Amino acid sequence: MIQLFHVTKRFGANTALDDVNLQIRKGEFVYITGPSGAGKTTLLRLMFGAQKCSEGQILINSINLNRIRRLNLDLLRRRIGFVFQDFKLLNSKTVSQNVALAMEVAGERPAIIRKKSHQILRAVGLVEKEQAYPLQLSAGEQQRVAIARAVVNDPLILLADEPTGNLDPDITREIMILFRSINLRGTTVVIATHSKELLKDTEDLVVFLKMGKILR
Amino acid sequence: MFSSKWAKSFGKKRMTRLRSGTYHFRHALRNIFSNSLIHAVSMGTITISVLLIGAFMLFYVNVSSWVVQWGQSLSMSVYLVDDIDEVTKGGIEAVLKELPHATIQDFVSKEKAMMEMRDALGVQAGLLDGLTVNPFPASFEIMFDSKGRDETAPQKLKERLEEIEGIAEVQYSEQWVERFEGVIDMLKLAGLIIGGLLCIAVLFIVTNTIKLTIYSRQDEIEIMKIVGATDGFVKMPYLMEGGLQGLVGGCIALLILFSLYLLFSLRTEGILGLPVMNIVFLKGAHVGLILILSLFLGLTGSFIALGRFFRS
Repeated sequence: MIQLFHVTKRFGANTALDDVNLQIRKGEFVYITGPSGAGKTTLLRLMFGAQKCSEGQILINSINLNRIRRLNLDLLRRRIGFVFQDFKLLNSKTVSQNVALAMEVAGERPAIIRKKSHQILRAVGLVEKEQAYPLQLSAGEQQRVAIARAVVNDPLILLADEPTGNLDPDITREIMILFRSINLRGTTVVIATHSKELLKDTEDLVVFLKMGKILR
Repeated sequence: MFSSKWAKSFGKKRMTRLRSGTYHFRHALRNIFSNSLIHAVSMGTITISVLLIGAFMLFYVNVSSWVVQWGQSLSMSVYLVDDIDEVTKGGIEAVLKELPHATIQDFVSKEKAMMEMRDALGVQAGLLDGLTVNPFPASFEIMFDSKGRDETAPQKLKERLEEIEGIAEVQYSEQWVERFEGVIDMLKLAGLIIGGLLCIAVLFIVTNTIKLTIYSRQDEIEIMKIVGATDGFVKMPYLMEGGLQGLVGGCIALLILFSLYLLFSLRTEGILGLPVMNIVFLKGAHVGLILILSLFLGLTGSFIALGRFFRS
């Protein structure tokens, strides 16, 4: 599903990732962890195709991100959900409209958009807040809207960059349950986090990054 | 174009053109209304610029057709010397009456010439009050019929008439037409230069308006790209926005121009005693050209703004 071969990413003189090799199988639940500046976000951005690696190759479903055409990358992104620490919601749009945006860009019909956004908001427990605006929601609710938007197009992969970084422990637990349920539907989930609490007693694959290198 | 392999692999759903057009048009209208002030200023500038271009075009079209019509007839003004006696004047009148295919339309005395000039100058007629001597010569106005226009060599006739005692000068309409054609060529050149500068100004304003709209929606564009929007999908509402600005600005300018035309065409205009001119409005092709130019300017402004944004 996701394969990285000798991936190096440099920003000027700084090396953010250094000869990273990684294979993530379809349907796996993976944590990427490490201290701040270890390269976690860079790794996720490379998997998302937001940046190109300086050396090496990244394959998503056997598609080489180094050689992908821009238009096809846009299409690929419709099947890769991305969740951010700061949610990246549009405050001028309602919860429902924020979720609908992902389907609108995919060319979905209005009737289907209405139906699917209702379904996904029910799944994340926000159906009664469909017409609310993000600033009227708690941080946990905002993150659930962001997750709903990321998964509404049934992504093959869900990438999350510090998704619980701004949340208290109870809400964090709720969000992690949500990620787990998404993973159970067959979506590969990759979460970048520096939270030791999340990794405690986990049986999932944990990738530890330090100074741009995989330690284990 | 989306590759079919990719469309199949990643479940690409094609929007029908109508649905896609409606979606983007709705977004363009929403953008315009949510930044109404800046769009109003931009549309106002487009309106003024297109109005100036249209007004110039109207003036040019009318003057050109007037000169063409005028050039199709042949008339002569035979100016007499100031101290002419009645016998000499009578002799000249007899010679002019004998000219083939010509009729004397009018005799304009020095006093009448002065009065006509006063009428033509209107409120500026006071300028003539300072004159101690009437400088305007008396003249016979001669008109040739269509056969006379074809058979007469006006320059030779002019030279022959100017040899007659009592005639100071002879001028014929073709001379005026030639002079006017020179002026019209100059006007055309000036119009092209001014029109070009106005177009550049409109482009600059539309580009900056759309740029401001794009920057105010930077977050939305970023999120749209994250969820897989193509560049075309992101750009389309802004292109429509620019096109709409241009088209609406052009339509308003044409409406104002037509209103002004109705106002002025209620009366026919005579200029310095020359043949009366009927003002006509722009032809359909000219109106279409102005609308296409407005649309083009709006679209090009958006295109430049989007290019700069996506490059940065």
